[in-house]
Amino acid sequence: MSGAADLNRNRAVDWALMVYILLAYAFVFAPIAASFVFSFNSDRFPSLPLGEFSLEWYRAVANDPLVWQGARNTLLVGVAVGVISTVLGFGAAYTDYRYRFAGKQVYLALALLPPTIPVVILGLAMLAYLSRINLSGNALSVIISHVVVCAPFAMAIIRLRLSQMDPALEPAAWNLGASEWAAMRHVIIPFCAPAILGALFITMAVSFDEFAVAWFVSGLNETLPVKVLGFLQGQVSPRINAIGTFVFILSMKLVILAQLLLSGRSARVPEKE
Amino acid sequence: MTRDTLVSFEGVVKRFGAFVAVQKLDFEIKKGEFLAIMGSSGCGKTTTLRMLAGLEAPTEGVIRLAGKPINDLPTWCRDTPMVWQSLALFPFLNVRENVEFALKMRGVGKAERRRRAEHWLERMQIAEFAERNISQLSGGQRQRVALARSLVVEPEILLLDEPLSALDAALKVRMQSVLKNLQRETGITFVYVTHSQSEAFSMADRVVIMSRGKIEQIGTPQEIYRTPRTRFVADFLGSSNLFTGTVRKAGAGLELDSPVGRLRLAGGAEAGTSATITVLDTKTHLSVAPPAGNVNAVPVRVIGEEFVGATATVYLETAQGQEIRVQKGHDELADLPLGIGQPLFAWWMPEDAHLVAEG
Amino acid sequence: MVPEPQALTLPAGGASLPAGAPSAGVRPTMRRRISLYGMTFALPLLIWQILFFFFPLVFLVALSFWTVRNFAMQPDFDTVNWATMYGRTVFWQAYGTTLALAAAASVLTSLLAFPAAYAIAFKLSDSARRWAIFLMVIPFFTSYLVRVYSWQIFLSDNGIINVILGWVGLGPFPMLNTVLATMIGYLTLSFPLVVLLQLFSLAFIDRTLIEAAHNLRCGRVRTVFEVVIPSARTGLVIAALFAFILSFGDFVSPIYLGGGDPTTLSILITDTTKSGQQWPRAAVIALTMIGTLMVVAFAAVKFAYKGKST
Repeated sequence: MSGAADLNRNRAVDWALMVYILLAYAFVFAPIAASFVFSFNSDRFPSLPLGEFSLEWYRAVANDPLVWQGARNTLLVGVAVGVISTVLGFGAAYTDYRYRFAGKQVYLALALLPPTIPVVILGLAMLAYLSRINLSGNALSVIISHVVVCAPFAMAIIRLRLSQMDPALEPAAWNLGASEWAAMRHVIIPFCAPAILGALFITMAVSFDEFAVAWFVSGLNETLPVKVLGFLQGQVSPRINAIGTFVFILSMKLVILAQLLLSGRSARVPEKE
Repeated sequence: MTRDTLVSFEGVVKRFGAFVAVQKLDFEIKKGEFLAIMGSSGCGKTTTLRMLAGLEAPTEGVIRLAGKPINDLPTWCRDTPMVWQSLALFPFLNVRENVEFALKMRGVGKAERRRRAEHWLERMQIAEFAERNISQLSGGQRQRVALARSLVVEPEILLLDEPLSALDAALKVRMQSVLKNLQRETGITFVYVTHSQSEAFSMADRVVIMSRGKIEQIGTPQEIYRTPRTRFVADFLGSSNLFTGTVRKAGAGLELDSPVGRLRLAGGAEAGTSATITVLDTKTHLSVAPPAGNVNAVPVRVIGEEFVGATATVYLETAQGQEIRVQKGHDELADLPLGIGQPLFAWWMPEDAHLVAEG
Repeated sequence: MVPEPQALTLPAGGASLPAGAPSAGVRPTMRRRISLYGMTFALPLLIWQILFFFFPLVFLVALSFWTVRNFAMQPDFDTVNWATMYGRTVFWQAYGTTLALAAAASVLTSLLAFPAAYAIAFKLSDSARRWAIFLMVIPFFTSYLVRVYSWQIFLSDNGIINVILGWVGLGPFPMLNTVLATMIGYLTLSFPLVVLLQLFSLAFIDRTLIEAAHNLRCGRVRTVFEVVIPSARTGLVIAALFAFILSFGDFVSPIYLGGGDPTTLSILITDTTKSGQQWPRAAVIALTMIGTLMVVAFAAVKFAYKGKST
């Protein structure tokens, strides 16, 4: 901040804005924190004052074989979705980076639009369509629908990385004797490696949390978020807090890992002269 | 085509959609020469270099390398390594791996790769940085890595696309002599694209000046400097005074009837045509009184003065508003009154003027 | 020293062609055709999205013309579903409700988010701003559903807020199953995204513009309205659009916080699918929603970029 800006500051307004920022974050984190706190609380109907510290809900979750099955499915689906989304997203990001062609706008629209369609509609359309082609009701259908929503995120993350690349790098590799495939392997992929891993983790995390589409699409093989929705629909139980906290910690690990990769030393663009 | 021709451009045209980047290029590059292609942004010089490298395909015409047409040869099948303006060093590889890259792509074995890379690392005096990351190097060191990376395949020709533009002035001059010596010692043909007159003229054996996708002049730096062939070249170099008018007979000789007066011509022009002559600013002289003898003199007023090192440039203006520059050593100007507005005479010998083509 | 003629410092490749022409130096493009190599990268996502995104939406259109007999769907071409749904007041009530709720959520979220985005953009140090952005991203990776359930703990009659109010002798106020609760749910959904989008558009404002405004005796508040908001308009409108889209399609908040009353279109869709296999009618609702979103998005984008060259 320059001196001139300091001169023009008004302390009261600055304080009010700081307090406002704190309130905004309090609003955002209140439900997350409450979910965490009450997952260790013994009360059946959580509220203040807090009951005793208890691992009861974790025990209840751990003893429910359906939850374990759901957790296994969540992980399986998450990993598959992460890998497929990243591979597809990488291809599209590279296409956008490298080529110009007629109909590119349409291509990009198809690639990027799915996340803007409300999940209710997407879920309805997919369940109707997938059951029509006999693909509904299994883990495969969940993977298919998650990839539709997750691949655009992977594409955006990798495209951002490609835009940080010196545009001369790939032609330089060709010029030194690398065929297009060799340049892909020895230049483009190494350069994008942090973003590729970042996209992998982020799409996995998104898949863990994506539940509404799965709710419509999945039949018997429920993923964890579907299970959560089941709890809500039926009898509300603080078990949801235990599951939520567990999924949150898993997701955050992936996100922080991705964050480290995307901003770490290896990802840094070499400084210009 | 002669035996010492390495590259020839034959009627090469490059269009991007409706835009013509290069129109009808016909010229040759000799074996072992240092050729500079010079022009301002958008003149087609970089496109020309990229076509030679195989990064763009010519729309029309043929490019030959050592006699063989190479139009359809992808860049990875040509031995035309390039040094990029941004250098384009691979940031995820260290110095040694960067230098070994081309050999690896050609399937050279590990030990052989290391040996040949070592040779060029030492030759470019960067062996001590071999294990460093690119981001840890200075600008000059990166330049050397880029050169080593391209030269490691021992090519017949090296392409350079404004490689010095990112360096500061002092380092630029040092690298110019590094490049010139390297070229002389290795005998590799250098094709050097630049917009900088000082770079082109101080290093190149021959200079190609391009404008709007066409060649304006090819020649040694001396030739181009002394006798710019077209008005564009004279303007571009900015070191000549230009006068345009109609050629008339005057007794036994010829005269140019120009806005600043009648100027005697040494010959070469045809009466009745319009013509432009150029006079180098170093061949234009100043005096207080109108000079005697068979010279052209124009009355002018001083409008400014500029000093660079041992020389000074005096800017003058004729009564008609045309600017004239005169470049001299300080001692040659010591006796002249040079206050702003001071009336003087600018003069030159008719044989020091050259006719140029319009355009 | 010899003067350099037109010594432009532009990168040679990019500057060597006029605007509009394909810039040969900047793009690594070498051939005009997309080769087998290019297809390998371009096609997989395209095929996936055509098969599993475009076709389902097309199928939804077809589905809306099917008929249901004896709780079984039959391929057909009948406008009966459209006529039935559009003839029901329940549908139009839900449509009006959803539109009003989403518009209110969009305005409310934008208004509440702006001071936060403004303060983060202009009042925090660089490192504090990075932390603020990181913290704002975290909610994207927590289950929205879990957060909504958590709000129930706060808002219910015996919930945290009413207990605290009880300590000072107030309440209890019924808050769950009200429009207020639905709005809190919408805010939970879109507030972090709107703050981030507003923040990024504010971050691109040239600081000297603001100093110039101060220098021209434009007061602090006036500068916000005369300089900051117009400069960031595109981003602010796009942020509001996202809040609208998210709230318009959300079914979690209206059900679990709003108690399903008033009925929104998303609730109507889930109800319709559950009752008697009326998928074609649900398709009619879904298509109407997509149409509405497209019109709103088009209008918003048009407004966002009004008076800008690109």
